[in-house]
Amino acid sequence: MKKLMSWLMLVVTVSVALLGVFAQPTYAATAVTDDSLARVKEKGTLVMGTSPDYPPYEFLVNRGGKERVVGMDVDIAKKIAKDLGVKLVIKQMDFDSLLVALETNKVDMVISGMSPTAARKKSIDFSKVYYKGGQSIIINKADKGIYKNKNSFQNKAVGAQTGSIQYNLGKNQIKGSTVKGLAKISDLILALKSHKVEGVIMEEPSAQAYVDNDPDLAMINGKFSLSSGENNTAIGFQKGSTSLVNAVNKSVDEINQKNLTKSYLKHAGTFMKTNTKNTSMWHYAGYFVKGVEYTLLITVVSVFFGILLGILFALMRLSKMKLIHGLGVAYIEFVRGTPLMIQVMFVYFGIGLFINIPALIAGIIAVSLNSAAYVAEIIRGGINSVAKGQTEAARSLGLSQQQTFVSVVFPQALKNIWPALGNEFVSLIKESSIVSIIGVTDLIYQLKAVQTATYKGVIPIIVAMIIYFVLTFSLSKVLNHYERKMKHDA
Amino acid sequence: MPEMIAVENINKKFGDTEVLKDLNGKVEKGQVICVIGPSGGGKSTFLRCLNLLEKPTSGKISFEGTELTALNESQINQLREKMGMVFQSFNLFSNMTVVENVKLAPIKVKKMANDDAQKLAVKLLDQVGLADKADQYPASLSGGQQQRVAIARALAMNPDVMLFDEPTSALDPEMVGEVLKVMQDLANQGMTMVVVTHEMGFAKNVADEVWFMDGGVFAEKGTPDQIFEHPQNERTQDFLAKILEA
Repeated sequence: MKKLMSWLMLVVTVSVALLGVFAQPTYAATAVTDDSLARVKEKGTLVMGTSPDYPPYEFLVNRGGKERVVGMDVDIAKKIAKDLGVKLVIKQMDFDSLLVALETNKVDMVISGMSPTAARKKSIDFSKVYYKGGQSIIINKADKGIYKNKNSFQNKAVGAQTGSIQYNLGKNQIKGSTVKGLAKISDLILALKSHKVEGVIMEEPSAQAYVDNDPDLAMINGKFSLSSGENNTAIGFQKGSTSLVNAVNKSVDEINQKNLTKSYLKHAGTFMKTNTKNTSMWHYAGYFVKGVEYTLLITVVSVFFGILLGILFALMRLSKMKLIHGLGVAYIEFVRGTPLMIQVMFVYFGIGLFINIPALIAGIIAVSLNSAAYVAEIIRGGINSVAKGQTEAARSLGLSQQQTFVSVVFPQALKNIWPALGNEFVSLIKESSIVSIIGVTDLIYQLKAVQTATYKGVIPIIVAMIIYFVLTFSLSKVLNHYERKMKHDA
Repeated sequence: MPEMIAVENINKKFGDTEVLKDLNGKVEKGQVICVIGPSGGGKSTFLRCLNLLEKPTSGKISFEGTELTALNESQINQLREKMGMVFQSFNLFSNMTVVENVKLAPIKVKKMANDDAQKLAVKLLDQVGLADKADQYPASLSGGQQQRVAIARALAMNPDVMLFDEPTSALDPEMVGEVLKVMQDLANQGMTMVVVTHEMGFAKNVADEVWFMDGGVFAEKGTPDQIFEHPQNERTQDFLAKILEA
């Protein structure tokens, strides 16, 4: 009991210390003098964060096997970058992650059809408004007679993007409704078609794009009562970057004066037409291939480091030295006790405060560290499963402890744990998909991209499912082959 | 004649249980000592103390003039290679073939070249009559064959003394003979041996000295003739009477 208490104390102390360390720089960052514009000019790039699943604001198109982000917001960003005399870099991520990305300096600005609400203004700064659109509701065309405006949805389920303005509108202005929040618009449309929700709240231009591209959908005016912040769209910046905001506002003024958004929307429309012409999955094979590449890359590298670190942590846990043993136990228990998703976000955004790690590397680090904890436990079990007599025989021949481990214990442990280890690798292929939340273009991420690009929900899911199965099934076969090879029992 | 092994006042406790009590003994070069006695009397623990697989709680063990109990880990490793050990449960490395089992220690510990180790291993396997099993895995061998490989493996380090921990106890009766034959050959070649055994016939015929152990002490020591024909100690008489009845 006493031991348990001291453990808890240790865990609490470490957590508090970590919080202290990570909490400080956030305040520090806002307090320092504003060098935001100078910084952008110095590095020569303007990094834009966006969630490209919101046509015509921003979405993905496939050009000669290569995908790129296009849309009105991209054209605006290009103009701003040109006016500032720097190069535009686009970083894709979930809408949810955009605010954190600003706070942690992952991006210089966010243009993602974002409305400057009072709540958001508390944590970030906004440029002047560059676009005003109403809020619409997309419905199934067959239901056109039933739904007229927001009041038709009383006691019904409606969908909206998580963390969006539309989500709050649904919550606050439709009486008795359930608002279902999903991260991707494409998933919301799927939910609509399968009647999980009866309507999807969306900004007017986006709604228009979906209706234009899908004959089964229709849109109605939501008739929401909107405050000035809620039907406007503006560019988000880290709090305190006044110099950068002022510089960008000059470009926004020009856009508004010349009514440039009109031509930008038209430009976006041309991409949407070419997108819809080609909705066969073969056309998007490149997306899936790239997704498989990243998924395999993450898995293979993570398996490699997972095993290396797993052996290390297993040996630490088996060590007779109390401190080393304790560190091993603490690591394993902590990692196994927290979700991989949070670990991924922690590495990317949390550690990212100090060192700027690219999303792919951050994903690999998080998955490797996570896998190491599980592999460590498997290996520890394997080492314990080797009969004591094997060690004694080796030691009696004069082999050192290390030689005994390397030549005798570990090979036998490996044979015993091979099925469990194989199981871990198979699940790693699947679980690595969580890195898509920080914008790593793995198979899941590409699946969503294809859904957005084709306005088709189900077929890309089936394709991705088959690809995952082929990957895991082949791996199982390979592992079985080696399992048979290691079997020396009669 | 110099002593190969000298044991002075060793004690061993597992928790509160006293397993060995103030043991003393000397093994001279070329001698074969058989340790007999009832199960649970401390025979195996005593043998395992000789190469420090068990650390005595107190007392001194010397090997060829060096005090083992005062050495550090790597010095112990160096002395262990001169003390071959054969276990009741064979303990062949299941992840290696027979010949790899024999070669491992010469290559890893003595840094012998693979070719030389291979020649040595084949020669030793031939000596125990198993050269044809060289490339098989232990699991496909009978118990008697495995134990003969284990003896060859211990001999590969060219030890000065061989410790046997009930080498035939886990064997089917028809396989006991082949292992005892190999051990007898070794004794005939002048190998120093300490053998914990229940094979009274082997003790009678091969041992120079028989040590009877019971309750963690050597109750009686003597030549096979003294122990088996004229036991003085009551406990020895008791033990032998039971064995003969069975």
